[in-house]
Amino acid sequence: MKRSLKKAFAAFSALALMMSATAAFSGCAGNNDDGTIRLRWVSYCTAVPADMKEVIAAANKYSAEKIGVTVDLEVQPTEMLNLIMASGEYYDMIYTCEWLNNYDTNAAKGLYYDITDLVKTETPALYQTIGDYWEAAELNGRLYGIPTLKDMGTEMMYRLNSDYFEGEKGMEIPEFMKFEDIEPYLAAYKADYPYKYPLAMDKSGVPGMTNFLERVIGTFIFIPYDGDKLQVMPLWECSDLVDRYRLLHKWYKLGYIEPDASAVESTASNKDIPVRYGVAWRGYQGYSNPDTWGFNVKTSIYDGPYISRATEQGAMTAICAACTEEKAKAALKYIELLNTDRKFRDILAYGIEGKHFNYLENGSVMRTKTGNDRYVLALYQTGSVVNASVESVSRSFLADPDQWEKVYSGYKEYGIRSRTDGFVYDQKRKEDIIAALSAIYQNYATDLRTGTSDPDVVIPKMKAEMEAAGINELLADIRQCLDEHLASSVDIDFS
Amino acid sequence: MPKKTHSSLSRMSRKENRQLTLMTLPTVIWYALFCYLPLFGIFFAFKDFTPVPGDSLFENLFVNSPWVGLRNFSYLFRNPQYVDVLVNTLIYNVIFLIAGIVIPVSLAILLAEVHQKKFTGFVQMALVLPYFISWVIVGYCIYGMLATDVGQINGLLKMLGADPVQWYQSPEYWRGILISLGIWKTSGYTMVIYLCSVNAIDRSLYEAAALDGANFFQRVRHVTLPHLRTTIATLFILGVGSILNSDFGLFYQVPMDSGSLQTVTQTLDVYVYKSLMLQANFSFSSAAAFLQSGVGCILLVIANVITKKIDRDSALV
Repeated sequence: MKRSLKKAFAAFSALALMMSATAAFSGCAGNNDDGTIRLRWVSYCTAVPADMKEVIAAANKYSAEKIGVTVDLEVQPTEMLNLIMASGEYYDMIYTCEWLNNYDTNAAKGLYYDITDLVKTETPALYQTIGDYWEAAELNGRLYGIPTLKDMGTEMMYRLNSDYFEGEKGMEIPEFMKFEDIEPYLAAYKADYPYKYPLAMDKSGVPGMTNFLERVIGTFIFIPYDGDKLQVMPLWECSDLVDRYRLLHKWYKLGYIEPDASAVESTASNKDIPVRYGVAWRGYQGYSNPDTWGFNVKTSIYDGPYISRATEQGAMTAICAACTEEKAKAALKYIELLNTDRKFRDILAYGIEGKHFNYLENGSVMRTKTGNDRYVLALYQTGSVVNASVESVSRSFLADPDQWEKVYSGYKEYGIRSRTDGFVYDQKRKEDIIAALSAIYQNYATDLRTGTSDPDVVIPKMKAEMEAAGINELLADIRQCLDEHLASSVDIDFS
Repeated sequence: MPKKTHSSLSRMSRKENRQLTLMTLPTVIWYALFCYLPLFGIFFAFKDFTPVPGDSLFENLFVNSPWVGLRNFSYLFRNPQYVDVLVNTLIYNVIFLIAGIVIPVSLAILLAEVHQKKFTGFVQMALVLPYFISWVIVGYCIYGMLATDVGQINGLLKMLGADPVQWYQSPEYWRGILISLGIWKTSGYTMVIYLCSVNAIDRSLYEAAALDGANFFQRVRHVTLPHLRTTIATLFILGVGSILNSDFGLFYQVPMDSGSLQTVTQTLDVYVYKSLMLQANFSFSSAAAFLQSGVGCILLVIANVITKKIDRDSALV
């Protein structure tokens, strides 16, 4: 009996050892047989395109010749990225940003490679290309990630069925409007179709509706872009936001929003809906393809562009802290190539030329049917957006190849900039309060953002609960951190 | 000679034992891998888990992560809602515990009385089937019935001249809906267990009882129920062990996470999910799991002791 127990114990510990060993050695991408370096690159996407392997092979062929580096690119959803980070799994490059797999939190924990010196000496062209936007990656004077050049500020817009509103109703769709200006359009549609709901709404609410405030914790603690001085505010003190919630509730009661919106997963399949939303940039054509919608779509911007550390951190790539210097250099070289070589960039962006996409006469790109069916990833998921060719949605409606220059000069001209100087609150400091608060917030959020509940009833309740859970302690701590941050800001010279 | 017989017998029985032991091997391995090996995860609950990529899990857990005592538990009690959350969890579980005995046992007894094989087979199938339908699908079927403007129930209400109900905004109906669904989904499955016990009862006992003039209820009271005692006690004790756990699918997917319903749908599992949606915090979730299993374990032992006091044979250990 004793012996068999011992044996069982030995078997058990051997098993445990084996498991930890596999944990330690799994996923170590190494060098290829031909001496080129292979990197494990984990990016973000919720669905893997069918032709992904083929496209990566084509890209690897190109990059192996140019810089001697290939990648095992895999795309993973949010939960998997969180799991990879939380369990300490090995990777070489990973997708990180402000809205998932948080850059600042992970960089502060020391999980990302410090590239401050390496990027200047090894990849000067990359260093120059990113330019001013390195400030998005700067943490305590060091750099731990490479910002992806894309739309760097957020612009929120309505997408309207122009065939109906302009063609049938003779209403004008201006280039800019206020959030509340959509009301007459909703009313017009509702009058024509009393049993339909003109405003698209699912349980995630209006995307980007809170972007006119700088997020500090989730979407319940903000710093407004305007105002006399910098203020850290809970949701209920942001009167403009509360007004928007009131407006949504009014629209809900008027029947512009579907009564069960808070239980609806997605309205994407309902092509009838004449008013939707977008978070994009001026000149973006992705919403305008009449083939997708069955009608022409015009956009009208109601917010933005707001530029803050958070918006500039919309997409980034970081290198694992456990990487060897050789691998870190290889990763930087690879990202440099994505940022500087347009032909290479277009492979990961659109697929294989002739099969997935074709170049048009003005230099823009149009996807083929195969491309649309078998290789669609958002550009930001595979590297620089700005360095990729712009996409036209139809031959009769060519995209402006200089789009990005205009967008970027637009940011300089009328961008509304954050004044927090890249402040980010270390959530570890009050982790338990934040967890409790987010549970409370989740309970009210869906009904608030879909207009289902009356903010004047619900917000005071939420406020009382959040105060009991310690939001004031958290706010005081954030304010103190913000003051310290502003007093001791280190600036790197990026020139 | 007798000695030899004895030894050959014991050899045979030893061989048989070995075969039987081997048969348990898959179960033993399964338990070792999925129940005992993960037990070291308890450490997560008392550590601030900060992994370093490239290091092994053991290194990350035991070397790289500092001890933090009970700090990982505090978020559970920071929120003033936690009392409601616990009350909800307990109310539902107590109801499920009682209904989970009364309904399946009654069904099993009734079904055992039916002697038409085809009919019993059909009823058994129909009752067990819900157990295999995922909550997500159930959730959408319920949505099809309860949707405010296109749902069948509101259509029926309108036809009858009554006012339609905004089901997903009316918490007063949902305790009933959730309890009925929970029972609908699991009672068929539990019934099969009871039905086996009922069928195993010696038929001659019923005949004897019938000869003595016992009617149906007397037969149930004096023959069937005493025989089911052990099975009922076992399932009851196991149920008590998971008193703080709840079916996440039932309480999160079926009400479509509707905020208006949270007062009646928020159980401990749902609350933990909502708290940690923003963070992938292993330590916090382990703390919650530890609390659930800890309380469950203590209650299980207590329930077992009480059962033992009442009826020695029905207790588990």
